[in-house]
Amino acid sequence: MVKTAQTYKKRSMASEIWRRLCRNKMAMLGLVIMVILVLTAIFADVIADYDTKVIAQDIKNRLQGPSMAHWCGTDEFGRDIFARLVHGSRVSLVVGLVSVTISLIIGGPLGAVAGYYGGRVDNVIMRIMDIFLAVPSILLAMTIVAALGTSLVNVMLAIGISGVPGYARIVRASVMSIKDQEFVEASRAIGAKSPTTIFREILPNCLAPIIVQATLSVASAILSTASLSFLGLGVQPPSPEWGAMLSGGRNYLRDALHLTLFPGLSIVITILALNLLGDGLRDALDPRLKQ
Amino acid sequence: MHKYIIKRLLMLIPVVIGVSFLVFFIMSLAPGDTARTILGETAPMEAVEALREELGLNDPVLVRYFHYMADLLHGDLGESYKSGQPVFSEVMSRFPATLKLAFWGMLFAVVLSIPIGIISATKQYSLTDSVSMVLALLGVATPNFWLGLMLIIGFSLHLKWFPSGGDETWRALVLPVITLGTGCMASVTRITRSSMLEVVRQDYIRTAKAKGVNRRVVIYKHALKNAMIPVVTVIGLQFGQLLGGAVLTESVFSWPGVGTYLVNSIKAKDTPAVLGCVIIFCICFSIVNLVVDILYAYIDPRIKSKYK
Amino acid sequence: MKRTGKIVLAAMLAASVLLTACGGSGNTGAEGTQAAAGSGTTSKSDGIIRIGMKADITSLDPHDHNDVQSSNATRHIYSNLIRVNSDHEVVGDLAESWEYTDDTTVAFKLKEGVQFSDGTPLTADDVKFSLERQKASSKVGHLVAMIDSVEVVDDLNFIIHMNQPSNALLTSLAHSGGAIMCRSYTEKLESEGKKLADAPMGTGPYTFVSWVPGSSVELKKNPNYFDKEREAQNEGLILKVIAEETSRTIALENGEIDILTDVGTNDAQKIRDNANLALDEYDSSQQEMMNLNTSKAPFDNVLVRQAMNHAINKEDCMIVAINGEGAGVDGYLAPGAIGYKDTAVHYEYDPELAKELLAEAGYADGFTFTTFVSNDERSRAATAIQANLQQIGVTMNIEQMEASTFYERTGNGEHDACISGWVANAEPDNTYRPLFTSVNAGPGGNRAFYKNPEVDALVDDAATNRDPEKVDEDYKEVTRIISGDAIWVPLYTQTGFVARQNNLQGIEISSFNMHVFTGAHYE
Repeated sequence: MVKTAQTYKKRSMASEIWRRLCRNKMAMLGLVIMVILVLTAIFADVIADYDTKVIAQDIKNRLQGPSMAHWCGTDEFGRDIFARLVHGSRVSLVVGLVSVTISLIIGGPLGAVAGYYGGRVDNVIMRIMDIFLAVPSILLAMTIVAALGTSLVNVMLAIGISGVPGYARIVRASVMSIKDQEFVEASRAIGAKSPTTIFREILPNCLAPIIVQATLSVASAILSTASLSFLGLGVQPPSPEWGAMLSGGRNYLRDALHLTLFPGLSIVITILALNLLGDGLRDALDPRLKQ
Repeated sequence: MHKYIIKRLLMLIPVVIGVSFLVFFIMSLAPGDTARTILGETAPMEAVEALREELGLNDPVLVRYFHYMADLLHGDLGESYKSGQPVFSEVMSRFPATLKLAFWGMLFAVVLSIPIGIISATKQYSLTDSVSMVLALLGVATPNFWLGLMLIIGFSLHLKWFPSGGDETWRALVLPVITLGTGCMASVTRITRSSMLEVVRQDYIRTAKAKGVNRRVVIYKHALKNAMIPVVTVIGLQFGQLLGGAVLTESVFSWPGVGTYLVNSIKAKDTPAVLGCVIIFCICFSIVNLVVDILYAYIDPRIKSKYK
Repeated sequence: MKRTGKIVLAAMLAASVLLTACGGSGNTGAEGTQAAAGSGTTSKSDGIIRIGMKADITSLDPHDHNDVQSSNATRHIYSNLIRVNSDHEVVGDLAESWEYTDDTTVAFKLKEGVQFSDGTPLTADDVKFSLERQKASSKVGHLVAMIDSVEVVDDLNFIIHMNQPSNALLTSLAHSGGAIMCRSYTEKLESEGKKLADAPMGTGPYTFVSWVPGSSVELKKNPNYFDKEREAQNEGLILKVIAEETSRTIALENGEIDILTDVGTNDAQKIRDNANLALDEYDSSQQEMMNLNTSKAPFDNVLVRQAMNHAINKEDCMIVAINGEGAGVDGYLAPGAIGYKDTAVHYEYDPELAKELLAEAGYADGFTFTTFVSNDERSRAATAIQANLQQIGVTMNIEQMEASTFYERTGNGEHDACISGWVANAEPDNTYRPLFTSVNAGPGGNRAFYKNPEVDALVDDAATNRDPEKVDEDYKEVTRIISGDAIWVPLYTQTGFVARQNNLQGIEISSFNMHVFTGAHYE
């Protein structure tokens, strides 16, 4: 049945998926939130001036709770947390999305190949993944700092690479469980090459766990940024970033909960949007749900 | 199958060699002077130089790696640079605590998240589904230190139900297990739900339903088993991670696990200690992954035929 | 769908309100008292004092560690020849008396009748063995580098020969690395392939019971301790590792521990406000500073360095870094430290003056430089400084890195400036020499790369001159010179804290964190 779909033009398939996505209210809600977040990041300077709001300190008014003047309160330097969240989204959204994409585009194909071919190929690839799984991510990050420096790109690389074995294992498991199903055999029977079969037939059918894992790991990627900051990786003060804001409030939990609450909520809202969108996308891509 | 398991266990040898090689060179590449870090900034230069000499840090990397591997072949993980104690006993004195926390944390997560995932899938877009999603997202976006400290403030400081830390009593286990389990619950719940949805839509399940087989039977007998492959994979991954220690949770609850030991060793550039931890973790991960692969075969007999 | 969302939100709100309500009711005074009283009774019944500290013990072998946490344990198991009391006086511990026969020879006499906790009598031979074992140690050997040999005269008398005159001998013997151990016991243990760290044994007020790495060390009162005046007022000590700042304070509030040594600056006020707890405050020997690299432009210019001293508001810096629990400093050694001299030049916070000095130095338009930091507290201090400097047109970038990288890179002189801290011990030479002398420029500790032959000569004289007044004058002069040259921006010193249950008495506080807990007991 998927076979027949292939004879359609590509564009019509994409627009069909889009049409189905639009019918899903929850997915649209996710999309709207995502668009708002992205617009906030793009127009951060319009919403809050960097020099006077984001980095300007006011020690006398430090650790103030939310008020009309400061919607999310002020931090330990007396800086406006709302303004810092707005500007922090620039870093955090990019880090979250890009590092997960890195894990996915390296780990996904590796897992797919391992699961599809099995035997020796599987053994070699997955044992290498076992090695990487055992290397602590801090160690990996330290190496990247030493070899490449501390730029934001390297943060994403460090977080991205440490996620690779996980995706490889998840994709491999899905591929193994569906590669013997009829439609795959059909594809092979009509002489499709292996890569074609993997990318055309198998991967689209094991999107579900990948989407779940990817949307959830965006949150952990944003949080990891903070855990790597002691290595000098990531943004340096006074630039704001959600993960660092959250962990910076660690010792103030009993006195000023808002320091951690608002950055935490920002991360929750982001992955909520991504999850809604991801679920919708999965449904839209599922050929069985066409009707 | 037996042959496959033996083959996989033998594969541990190249994997351990590979990981020790990788980590050894990462450690030698990383900046920072082990001797200076151990002695602190107050020690004079001559003392630092003497310690470097004593630890053999002035030898070329390859020579040091060769010495290390020679000892490793005799089953000797060496001595920690920092404390001079055997690494094996230092790691093993902390490993039971980590294992205990990982086991109960995972059990807590699995027992709760699989039923919630199933309910969410069978009642897609219901209130239960929405609540469970929001909770899962909160779980995954909440750093362990935050949840852990909030639990301590609520249940230890104010309610006095549980101690704030330590690992001596079962009461002390409750809060860290909840903290650790909540993080794992998120992905297991979501993966269970999505895999169930996926499988429920498969043709043979529809057929079973169409034939009038009881809904419950369909879900628990057919759908669940087939949905388990991604779920087992994720549980395996999470459990492996937990065995590597949970630094933040250990720190918050004063839990004497390997996570803190590893991070402190990395910071001190204590190569033998780091390698010891990593090798032991590597063996654990590999065994967990092997168990997961065996479970695949149990769940899906078609996969079993591939294991030769 | 919308309605679902609202219900979810309402449920969460309700749950959070419920939690807060529980929290509120739990916080009443009555319940707090009950908890503390409960802990008090348990402690009285078994007489064990539980002490919370922030980091794990490295080793229980005094020659295998050089950190405060490990010494908290070994200090109570072993005795030294000498100790420094809370008034900063050098007094005999195992040594009955000592006498300088010449500049490099000191004759010691041991107290009579001292026994190790296994019953072996202490002799001069044990002292010789211990000091030689220390000299061979890569961790604490450098402290006794001035000792050439130990000559045993008889069971109680021995002579220390030094290879050069040194004023640091006595205070070095008081360091935890100078613990005296039993020769026969240690040699037997080590010949059996066992480690002293697993079974430490000395002449101290406690004996070793157990050590759970990463968790706790337990000690028991030594009934045969030689000094009846200083014998333990409790049945034993348990040193507990509690890494998280917030958890440490809660453990004390809950009565799970009796004493807390590493009090978080966020929590000091909570402890003061709690009627069941007490906070002992003291001048610590710890100070934070911003080192200016004098070997590189722009900080090779003294005017620029002085401008920095005028431009930085130490008070703000201290508030954000340590929540105001301390004081800004002018000096180059914390006021609580032995060897502190108040002769440092005072630079008033005055951005206008700073701008003038910069203009005079040829930097009217400011400049850009990078400061290295190695932990969160220093990163906060740096962020406050960054804002100060912005006002005089100077752009400061902050680069955070982990400690070992920091040591290496600042040792190589890669920094323009860096923020570091220093905890002075009982011997001033151990501070003045590494921080300010030419030979130690870079990795030796002098991160300002300051090289001044006059200072070198003064520090050398202070280390060897037997005239205390001359030593005092030397250190005053060094302080005058380096503060005039403004090689640092001295930042702040944190108030020293030991927190305890209110009805617990008898802790002997040390300004360099070598507290003695033998006297701790409930009233």
